[in-house]
Amino acid sequence: MCGTADGEHERETGHDSVEEAERAQFSALLEDSAEDLYEHAPCGYLSTMLDGQIAKVNTTLLDWLGYTRDQLVGRRRFADLLTVGGKLYHETHFAPLLAMQGHLSGIALELRAADGSRLPVLVTSTVKTGSDGQPLLIRTTLFDARDRRAYEQELLRARKSAEQAQSQAETAHQEAETERARLQQVVAILQKSLLPPQLPQVPGLDAASYYHPASVDEIGGDFYDLFALAGGRWGFFLGDVCGKGPEAASATSLIRYTLRAAFLADSDPVQALATVHAALHERYAGEDPRYCTAIAGTLTPRPDGIAVTLAGGGHPSALLLRADGTAEFLPTPGGTLVGILPRPHFSTAHTLLGPGDTMLLYTDGLTEARTQAGPRYSEEDLHTFAAALAPAGAAATINALQGLLESFGAGLDDDTALLALGVPAANTIEGAAG
Amino acid sequence: MTPELTINAGHNATGPVLALVGDLDHATAPQLRTAVTDTALTPGQILTLDLSAVAFCDSSGITALIAAHRRALAQEADLVLADVPARVLRILRILGLDQVLRLAGQ
Repeated sequence: MCGTADGEHERETGHDSVEEAERAQFSALLEDSAEDLYEHAPCGYLSTMLDGQIAKVNTTLLDWLGYTRDQLVGRRRFADLLTVGGKLYHETHFAPLLAMQGHLSGIALELRAADGSRLPVLVTSTVKTGSDGQPLLIRTTLFDARDRRAYEQELLRARKSAEQAQSQAETAHQEAETERARLQQVVAILQKSLLPPQLPQVPGLDAASYYHPASVDEIGGDFYDLFALAGGRWGFFLGDVCGKGPEAASATSLIRYTLRAAFLADSDPVQALATVHAALHERYAGEDPRYCTAIAGTLTPRPDGIAVTLAGGGHPSALLLRADGTAEFLPTPGGTLVGILPRPHFSTAHTLLGPGDTMLLYTDGLTEARTQAGPRYSEEDLHTFAAALAPAGAAATINALQGLLESFGAGLDDDTALLALGVPAANTIEGAAG
Repeated sequence: MTPELTINAGHNATGPVLALVGDLDHATAPQLRTAVTDTALTPGQILTLDLSAVAFCDSSGITALIAAHRRALAQEADLVLADVPARVLRILRILGLDQVLRLAGQ
């Protein structure tokens, strides 16, 4: 029995000590020891007198700084732990604000450790007051901000390199813009060199023209001209070189000067086109064939108006806006494009422009434009437009067509050249004469 | 970018056939030139270009058609444009090419 009783007692005693150990473990888990929590908290604790004298400091902060408790307590002030910049900031901002508000939080400062190294921290301070409201001391917590500082420095570095990249991109962009503006200027000058600076004054004739470049970056291949021939006659042409860009511009230049020279030698428009054909065929015989379509013609003044002879080389037909309000095409059937076929054919057409009649020449930018409605603008559409417009003088015709072209907006994706030649209406001539 | 022109090669009784589907323009004309160059032609044969599915043809496309014609003639063969759509036919007529190139199936 005894043995049993002893045994039971021993078991009970053993039971008690197990319970105590568990309680201690649990207590540790619950952080019951305020002292341990204070000393080894994951942040620095510091209590100072109102003049900054250090009164109490925890182990965590001592470890961070590499000081012993004796070196600090009663010997140093909080400001003594700061870097020079931190001291200044503490004196001018931190201390006055704290005195005024009684609380400051999240202030970034740098501590100087015993070995001279710097430790960035986030500081929060509260003034502890007595029951009479008088300030007693200052409680301060300090959080290690090394990671945060490193993160901020990384952010700063990233921002700096982003700013640098942006500034480089802006410089490159500006250079590209300057280069582009220069190119556009060159294109504009070259384009002008392919067109007459202004149309000459032809007695008894109104002439007007318009050129719409599809792009400010690329030279178009449309061309026209009006010029004097011997014997009071005049020559004119309008055409379109296939393609765009420098090669097309080079071909356009060749064609334009060849046509003028050919007209001066022989004022037969068919012969002029044949000469251009020969020049193109000879110049572009190889891999990169060039062709153009063109209408070339002569104007011969007569008592009843101006006689027109024209030759067509694969070009959209001229359009006549008559004084009686009708419109008609002036076809040159069977004419082929210029410069590429082994045996081209150019056919002629004749008409008389009487008072109030206007002849319109155009390139296929006009009749190939995409309309707002969807389908491309066609010859039929142009005929309808002209019939509604007639009778109209050269300037009025060009104005109306310029408006039409503008209405196409982005649908006008090709260069477009327009040349209108008209005989002033009878009353205008009388008015001018009187 | 997906090509805007597809060229299907085939054969009929008179010779090779190239069927064009899509736009024949500045961007795609080189494709036709290459296809024509790669097509074997013997004297007397006819190279047929089926244009029935060509939606658009610009000046570069026209140049490629003329180049195809030149090449066929150089091989002592001929070129026929088959089923030319109205829009393309209108351009060929303006350029006077309807008299130069043989058209079929209109």
